[in-house]
Amino acid sequence: MRDAFSNALIQLALSDPKVLLLTGDHGYALFDEFRKRCPEQYINAGIAEQNMVGMAAGLARVGFRPFVYGLAAFIPIRPVEQNKLAIAHDDLPVVLLGDGAGFVYSHLGTSHQSTEDIACTRAIPNLEVLSPADRFEMTACMNYAYSANCPVYLRMGKSDRGDVHVCRIDPLSQGRLLKVRDGRADRPGLIATGSMVRTALEVAQERDLSVWSAPSLKPLSSDDVYAATCASNGLVTLEEHSVLSGLGAAVTEITSERQPTRVLRIGVQDTFSKHCGSHTYLLEEHGLDNQSIIARVDAFFQNATITS
Amino acid sequence: MISLATPTASAKTDTRFAPARLRRTVLEMAYAGSTVHIACAFSIIELVSVLYRNHLRYPNNDPRAEGRDYLVLSKGHGVMAQYACMHELGWLNDSHIKNYFADGSKLKGLSDSRVVGLEVTSGSLGHGFSVGVGVAMGLKRKGTDQKVYAIVGDGELNEGPIWEGALVAAHHKMDNLMLIVDKNGFQAMGATDDVLALGDLSAKFESFGFETLEVDGHDEATVDAAIRQLWAIGAGKPKALIALTVKGKGVPFMESDNRWHYTRLNAQTYAEAIDALGLPGDSK
Repeated sequence: MRDAFSNALIQLALSDPKVLLLTGDHGYALFDEFRKRCPEQYINAGIAEQNMVGMAAGLARVGFRPFVYGLAAFIPIRPVEQNKLAIAHDDLPVVLLGDGAGFVYSHLGTSHQSTEDIACTRAIPNLEVLSPADRFEMTACMNYAYSANCPVYLRMGKSDRGDVHVCRIDPLSQGRLLKVRDGRADRPGLIATGSMVRTALEVAQERDLSVWSAPSLKPLSSDDVYAATCASNGLVTLEEHSVLSGLGAAVTEITSERQPTRVLRIGVQDTFSKHCGSHTYLLEEHGLDNQSIIARVDAFFQNATITS
Repeated sequence: MISLATPTASAKTDTRFAPARLRRTVLEMAYAGSTVHIACAFSIIELVSVLYRNHLRYPNNDPRAEGRDYLVLSKGHGVMAQYACMHELGWLNDSHIKNYFADGSKLKGLSDSRVVGLEVTSGSLGHGFSVGVGVAMGLKRKGTDQKVYAIVGDGELNEGPIWEGALVAAHHKMDNLMLIVDKNGFQAMGATDDVLALGDLSAKFESFGFETLEVDGHDEATVDAAIRQLWAIGAGKPKALIALTVKGKGVPFMESDNRWHYTRLNAQTYAEAIDALGLPGDSK
């Protein structure tokens, strides 16, 4: 998935000399190939994210296509006001790239973990929010972010979970859900994003559930969410992000207005990580491991069956 | 710090940007819209007057011309001074001035880049300069001779991104970028020395790698000469012009009285302020 990211960026930079990569002193090995093949289009802006985002806006003003890279814990959070004023307000084609979203940096603690980045970007007008699940979605999201010609935040989470699609997606349709598994319509349907799509597939395998991937969190197709609602007995959302203002919130905003439905939001329950440990360990701490999720989906389904 | 060469006479023949005319426009807007920030605009009047009259290049008088120079008003609170210049250029008409702050109007109380002629959305401080740094970097990459001027307030220098941008500007040898500090000695709640002392600004910017001059920001000929001198020297270095100014300059009862950061005009203070400008035809 990271190779897909690097390759997509190199292809875009080779085909358009106006593409610039700005990094806040991050991406040590990730950009080796980019630096080798597009050295003139690589700018290390220093450990100064606020200035870097403002500078990207200035570069976009005179015709460049900046891709601004850093950790998901930094790029959408620390310069949130620059993202709003310098980029989104003026609808400039700047792509913000947030790497290591969720609990990727599990051993490093709260400063490097990001479970509020979707919330901090989703409410900013003009700014689209993408969250690819595998290498195919990554390539499609990168190409979409370039051709959309508008402000985009692209969230990159745990990247070694394996594929969820079987072939390339070309092109990504704005805001659409992608169905990745057909399951029983009398059971809850799963809508997941990023690294949790893989988890959703594993859970769905156990209970024969339908799964949709949401590579675009904003916009999010109201029609697709409505269709998922109609094709399932309740919905479950899964994200390596807070349940506040993330995917779960986006889905319930649609269902509550259009097709009131019970929705179980699985994600981080408005809390920071308490311990140091592996990514797997932190998922367990937050109840995002497969067994915890299956137990919650079962309880949700049984409750739905009793009350329906 | 380098010393200033003898000022050359500026192009006084162009009276469009005469400071008293610009201040009158600011007062007309502020009175029409019952707005604040009059003193913030008055301290930069001579700076914008000299820039628009003698330095900023707009091919075909087009504020959107691709080959234009960029004036980034990072201290968005002074935007009425820029509106006054845009009015002189015909980019704004009398109706814009008379209907300032009317419901549904387009000119806001702080710089908004969606207004043609304004380059950045600012007012939340410490934002515009970084955008100016990015524009300067982009123009250098394109190999043009276009210039970028960024006006920041001295209070605005409290903001961290200004110093991030200063490091980047020097590191990338942005000799097409001029930072102009409106050093009026005040910020919203008091004197800069009392709120957060800035120390020796010239020494600070020199140590960051800027070619620096400190001048009387209300003496047009001196400001003009300083800008020319800064562009002429220090190849590979960004420029910093520290303009010593007076908040509320031009109307004696507003000068260095920080209440005019927030105070609105009434019929009497408006008439007195217009009178103080001493423009022919305006006296009672």
